[in-house]
Amino acid sequence: MVSLQQRSRPIAKNVGRLTRTQLYTKRGLFKGQKKGVAPQKEAQAESKTKTVGGAKNGGQRQVPTTKARAFYPSEDVAVPTKARKAQRPTKLRESITPGTVLILLAGRFRGKRVVFLKQLNSGLLLVTGPFKVNGVPLRRVNQAYVIATSTKVNVGAVDSSKLNDAYFAKPAVKNATKEEAFFGDKVEKKQYPAEKAQEQKNVDKAILAEIKKVDGLTKYLNASFGLSRGEFPHELKF
Amino acid sequence: MSSQTFNRYVEVGRVVLVNQGADSGKLAVIAEILDHNRAIVEGPTTGVKRQAIAFRRVNLTPYVLKNLPRGAGPTVVKKHFEAADIAGKWAASSWAKKLAAVERRKQTSDFERFQVMLLKKQRRSVGNLNLAKAKKANKA
Amino acid sequence: MPGVSHQHKYSEYLVVGRRLPTEVDPTPKLYRMRIFAPNEVVAKSRFWYFVGQYRKMKKGTGEIVSLNVISEKKPLKPKNFGIWLRYDSRSGIHNMYKEFRELSRVDAVQALYQDMAARHRARFRSVQILRVAEIEKTEDIRRPYIRQLLTKNLKFPLPHNRNKNYRSSFQAKRPSTFA
Repeated sequence: MVSLQQRSRPIAKNVGRLTRTQLYTKRGLFKGQKKGVAPQKEAQAESKTKTVGGAKNGGQRQVPTTKARAFYPSEDVAVPTKARKAQRPTKLRESITPGTVLILLAGRFRGKRVVFLKQLNSGLLLVTGPFKVNGVPLRRVNQAYVIATSTKVNVGAVDSSKLNDAYFAKPAVKNATKEEAFFGDKVEKKQYPAEKAQEQKNVDKAILAEIKKVDGLTKYLNASFGLSRGEFPHELKF
Repeated sequence: MSSQTFNRYVEVGRVVLVNQGADSGKLAVIAEILDHNRAIVEGPTTGVKRQAIAFRRVNLTPYVLKNLPRGAGPTVVKKHFEAADIAGKWAASSWAKKLAAVERRKQTSDFERFQVMLLKKQRRSVGNLNLAKAKKANKA
Repeated sequence: MPGVSHQHKYSEYLVVGRRLPTEVDPTPKLYRMRIFAPNEVVAKSRFWYFVGQYRKMKKGTGEIVSLNVISEKKPLKPKNFGIWLRYDSRSGIHNMYKEFRELSRVDAVQALYQDMAARHRARFRSVQILRVAEIEKTEDIRRPYIRQLLTKNLKFPLPHNRNKNYRSSFQAKRPSTFA
């Protein structure tokens, strides 16, 4: 792999000759990240012994294997500083634990009260209505758009091992040709995948059983959140 | 100044309710009057430190520690406070109960508020049912 | 003033100063003064101002020997203070005597500066405090506004009181606050 520096020689400290886009194009990153493994190099000795003629030369001499550079650039080339920040997984808010009832604040289901299941690797929260109670399916939400309440549902019996970020990825669909799109040919109503519907039922089953145990909890989850007169969210306890 | 017009006076021994600041909601006793705006108060069992406080920051309660000497120290105030059972009287008063109820309402969680709403709904429906029955009975 | 609480804008300082020692006078006389000032810098400045009015001394040829804060011994006991002062009005110089009922000398002085500012539009620079003394005997109290607070079994109602906690911030009607 050619180093970044050579592709875009700096014109000043920390300023490359190429723009980010140009560099992206040159490196061919649109083809996907390069994942080549560098071949292992054999360790080379720094110097080797050479026999030298001449009586006064001692017979042998240490000679470096690679010659030192004869020329050096007259101006120092600035090396960009290394980013020292590492990407860390999103921190889950302390008030959110598995089973916490959340109030959704944005999106299609805003105002709905849902049950939190677990945090996914992407940092998003996995929630479910349950679907039967308030129509909210298994769904990923950002914790910034959520109010955590102090109400908890026991979700110990829920098996959410199959659910990950990939589960929610959209299946690749071949783009319709312009003509087809224009005339509306071949338009079929998409069916919700049966296995996903089944998974929803499986997950919700245990939760529904738990919800039934608490008086009024089903109605609570069914109802939307709203502020009435004299209620101010910063003064409320959730 | 007839005694009917005013029932509560600023005086040494008057129990006051602090309603502002860190001591908000605690009882204290006027130990000495500083001037027309301020007094030295102390709440030896309620956790109000001896301090000068403006009358603007307190409410006068109906309780007075009779015979409390002017400028009494913490031990004397405590003795009188406990002998008169002010804490017990206060806890039993509707004023204190109302304050406690307001505080409890403030602390309700979202689910609890929802349950209250359900119960209120229920109460209304029961009331309306009885009203309808009574009306029917009246007609007949 | 940031960092200084409203209750104690001023402190009472004990400033000791003297002329610089010379060959003629190797141990000059010490002069001591109690000064109310917002900080040490002002306290030292006021010391040189006042000492210059009585003795032939100035900052250039003198030194501050020590500077201490005097704190109140019983800051929770109400006391009656008499304050004698000299006040530089727009038309002349007046001497005055005022009484205050406060918890400390510093509080009394602060109340004095507030009072002078309110009644006479006098600034800090035009008020010179001559003497602050606690009046221990009730019969020595000269002003009726302090004397009235010292009656036996003092009691009074709070007729104009309105508790802010129990009402909303905005109301259609003005409250009736009289009895």
